[in-house]
Amino acid sequence: MNILGEISCFGLCLESSHLAPFVVSLVVISISLLAASLMVRGPKHRLLIFVSAQITVLLAIIATFYLMKCDGMLTTYLYLIYAAMSSILVFGVHRFYDRVMIRRLNAKPAGNIVEWVQGFVSQLTAATVYYYDSAAPRAFAAGRSIFISIGLLEILNDDELRAVLAHEAWHIRNNSRMPYLRQLALMTFSSHKKSELEYMADCFAAEIAGSEALSSAHDKLDKVFI
Amino acid sequence: MVKLDQINISNTGLTKFFSPIEAKILRTLWAEGEMMTSELTERTNIPLTSIAGTLDRLVKAGYATRRIDNINGRVRYVYAPAFSEEEVASEITRKILDSLVDTFGPLALENFSKYSDKK
Repeated sequence: MNILGEISCFGLCLESSHLAPFVVSLVVISISLLAASLMVRGPKHRLLIFVSAQITVLLAIIATFYLMKCDGMLTTYLYLIYAAMSSILVFGVHRFYDRVMIRRLNAKPAGNIVEWVQGFVSQLTAATVYYYDSAAPRAFAAGRSIFISIGLLEILNDDELRAVLAHEAWHIRNNSRMPYLRQLALMTFSSHKKSELEYMADCFAAEIAGSEALSSAHDKLDKVFI
Repeated sequence: MVKLDQINISNTGLTKFFSPIEAKILRTLWAEGEMMTSELTERTNIPLTSIAGTLDRLVKAGYATRRIDNINGRVRYVYAPAFSEEEVASEITRKILDSLVDTFGPLALENFSKYSDKK
């Protein structure tokens, strides 16, 4: 069956199904949620509304597949294979990514060189801080680990380092939700803005380490990464 | 001992074999010996953006070494040249001669002897 035939099959099955109004209303709801997410100001609410829009799109996709009467539809098979493969990748990579990074960067526990770092992070979340050998100032979180480069330790003072660590700790605290966000994005072919998560992490960092330390850390790092 | 990826014959000085930033850093390290990152940025007048990546590259390629210095909880890299200027010069010369002989064989050797006679 060719793709055009399948599209007309989708149309026919939808038309003849009693679930058609349900699917249509899901589509309408998702579009209005999407519009609402563009208008809301707070990043947290914007993200929540956007995710609800994605969930409604996913429901609409599932409902459409459910009421298909045609046999052996290529698009359905392709989508199901895509969904299965992407979840294996997303959830699998999520579990092992930090192990991979520790090995690749030859990272070592940061407590070895700056004593207070591990204790500070442990108060915020259950994560291990690692340092790795690079002059480029960088920090990132993966799995249950926070990675900081020697270059970062070189340019930041203790207060600024606290702000950066708190920012990364926020990511770790919310890390268990990240694969769901990624999977939703893949399955609905849409993605939230990364800046919303970064903004929320920054709010947390400002709360913990003070907004002055956060903004001066930002200034230093922005100078490095323009 | 060291990596030498490409040569630009039309460039001048060390930039025949290194990028301008790499050449500047190497020259500074040969002149000063051990240096911290902040001293290197100051002395070479190269912003941290450009110097950090280049320093990583020079260390990886084997031209510079660095150790982590930790005084009162302040962590810093201290850089040093891995080889003297003379050592690097002879290594580069050897590599280029090797590649010439590899490509042109006896013809290259013949030209070397003509060249050294002329000098």
